[in-house]
Amino acid sequence: MTSLSEEVLLVVKKVRQKKQDGTLYLMAERIAWGPEGKDRFTVSHLYADIRCQKISPDGKAKVQLQLVLHTGESTTFHFANESTALKDREAAKELLQQLLPKFKKKANKELEEKNRMLQEDPVLFQLYKDLVVSQVISAEEFWANRLGGINNTDPSPYNNKQEVGISGAFLADIRPQTDGCNGLRYNLTADIIESIFRTYPAVKQKYSENVPHNLTEKEFWTRFFQSHYFHRDRINTGTQDIFSECAKQDEKGLKTLVTQGVKNPLVDLQSLEDKTLDEGYGICTTQPSTSNANKSVKDSSNSAIIKRFNHHSAMVLAAGSRRGELASDQASETSSTDGNSRDSDFFQPPVKKVKLQEAIEFEDLQRENRPKTVPLNLKKSDRYAHGPVPLQSQQYTTSQDIINSVNYIRHEMASYKPSLTQVRAQTLCAQQRV
Amino acid sequence: MASEDEINLLVIVVDVNPIWWGQQAQRDPQFTLSKCMDAVMVMGNAHMAMARTNKLAVIASHCQGSHFLYPSKSWSGEDGGGNDVSSSGDGKYELLSAANNLIVEEIRNIMSKIEVTGNSTDTLLAGSLAKALCYIHRLTKELEVGQEIKSRILVVKAAEDCALQYMNFMNVIFAAQKQNILIDACVLDSDSGLLQQACDITGGLYMKIPQKVALAQYLLWVFLPDSEQRSQLVLPPPAHVDYRAACFCHRNLIEIGYVCSVCLSIFCNFSPICTTCETAFKIQLPQIVKPKKKKLKQPM
Repeated sequence: MTSLSEEVLLVVKKVRQKKQDGTLYLMAERIAWGPEGKDRFTVSHLYADIRCQKISPDGKAKVQLQLVLHTGESTTFHFANESTALKDREAAKELLQQLLPKFKKKANKELEEKNRMLQEDPVLFQLYKDLVVSQVISAEEFWANRLGGINNTDPSPYNNKQEVGISGAFLADIRPQTDGCNGLRYNLTADIIESIFRTYPAVKQKYSENVPHNLTEKEFWTRFFQSHYFHRDRINTGTQDIFSECAKQDEKGLKTLVTQGVKNPLVDLQSLEDKTLDEGYGICTTQPSTSNANKSVKDSSNSAIIKRFNHHSAMVLAAGSRRGELASDQASETSSTDGNSRDSDFFQPPVKKVKLQEAIEFEDLQRENRPKTVPLNLKKSDRYAHGPVPLQSQQYTTSQDIINSVNYIRHEMASYKPSLTQVRAQTLCAQQRV
Repeated sequence: MASEDEINLLVIVVDVNPIWWGQQAQRDPQFTLSKCMDAVMVMGNAHMAMARTNKLAVIASHCQGSHFLYPSKSWSGEDGGGNDVSSSGDGKYELLSAANNLIVEEIRNIMSKIEVTGNSTDTLLAGSLAKALCYIHRLTKELEVGQEIKSRILVVKAAEDCALQYMNFMNVIFAAQKQNILIDACVLDSDSGLLQQACDITGGLYMKIPQKVALAQYLLWVFLPDSEQRSQLVLPPPAHVDYRAACFCHRNLIEIGYVCSVCLSIFCNFSPICTTCETAFKIQLPQIVKPKKKKLKQPM
């Protein structure tokens, strides 16, 4: 144990453990501590064994670092160097923070997964108890049948929780508050920021380009809210606004959306136009004989607002359907509903076909896919009618017997007079058992 | 006006197989069909006397069919009553005397008309039970609003079981179980597996009477109380029912056997083809382990 064949990443002197002075060594795969003057380590833990680390709060006099193992025990190190205690501890903490995640035992993860499965499914748990605990089959066999996908790194099949979508009103939720003088105060939470990034990937791009190189986060958001991009009147002023590009991209996106149209051939959006009967009955659209100059400002701002809202809704929906691919940058396989994707045209035909097929095929009319069974073909069905009465030789009564008996009984019944008072035989009273 | 009391209906099915009773009368003149009918009538009277809302029905079951002794089609409820010979002057409850007379008359009629052929010597008990169930069902339907009826069937069995009635019997038993109708059995001579099953399944009482002469006593003691009162009394313990199935090939009662998965027929021995439905079975033969040849050690 004395030879340090492993690479030492950090050495911290004057670290006390259990009231003993010593040195803390952080190595490639474990953390160890040896008392002062001695060569060997009294305390050594593999990073894989450590579940988490804890530090004492900043205000306390004692600067401590505690390691909690998977088994539940904990080891505490006290950094006793007067001048550099805090720095030492921070250094140790940072290093551990980087190293610990790498060593999370894969086996432990499996155990956690198994526990989770057992907890979530009471039927499975009962089955496990009946089979494995009573030793009908071994635990390995049990899990061999169940854990088909446990070794996949893809966590999504086991993530049964639904992803939360984006609220369409997230922008409206940032209610600006006046902060006394002429300014406005916007409260941005991490959720809202995430929503903005997911809905408008262009903004996200701008953010990653500019922060933290050119602007701080605060400045970025201030500019964002000040820009005309954010506000209603999206008149392209042509100023050197970092967001003017975003506006142009949005316009482009909208145009692509419109040209794409709806993939479903059964949905006819054109029929949703306003139909007017006469003046006063619905909207009277003036013929486009008027030149553009006569178009009122109101009309154009109305259409701008409507365009803006449509685009916003389209982006929110698209962000919802894109949620699984945030990590990777693949284009969605289904037809993307936002104008910013590039590969949507490639997948157009299949969707149309699918929609048409859905409309014309009825599940009930298809042939049933039942498993094949053996046809029943009974040759001797009278066997079932015989009860569980073993074949015994019946008492054979001759026909003469029959005739005799019947005559006798007829004779008896012909002269039958009920004598209900004579029902109980006297001699038997005493013999009755209660 | 709907009465609030619960109606208790008792249907007594009496086995009046003439062959058995004729032989029985010759064997033991002390206990004949007359005595049996007396005991049954005493039981019926007792039941009707227990409460005003109690009802009775008696069915006679023989080789050719079953017949309602009481209530009979020929009897109208509102008889003149007074002119009848039946109304005895001893102040007996009119209903009881009327019932008794009716039963006597009917059984005499049946017995005088009965014809027995050599083939059918078995009592048609399953049919009688089915009739009883139908009667109970009819009465249940004729109830007024708010009335409730509880019914049970008492079978007084004399002759042996008939194996051919097994299917019908089981159907009747399960129908009674579904309707919550108890089937009690009072067996005079030989134990009946079918009735044991019936009593076990429906929750009734099965008893083989040790002394036939004391039939009335047993009927009144064991079978008169209805199901609620039975829990308060000490009655004969339930018999152990043999639920073993009989194999289809030999009709032996077996505990462990082979069942065809297609037709569910039971066999005591394995055979690769089911004889009922002719399905061929593939079964793995036990592995034959070839003995390994031992290598002779070569001399070095």
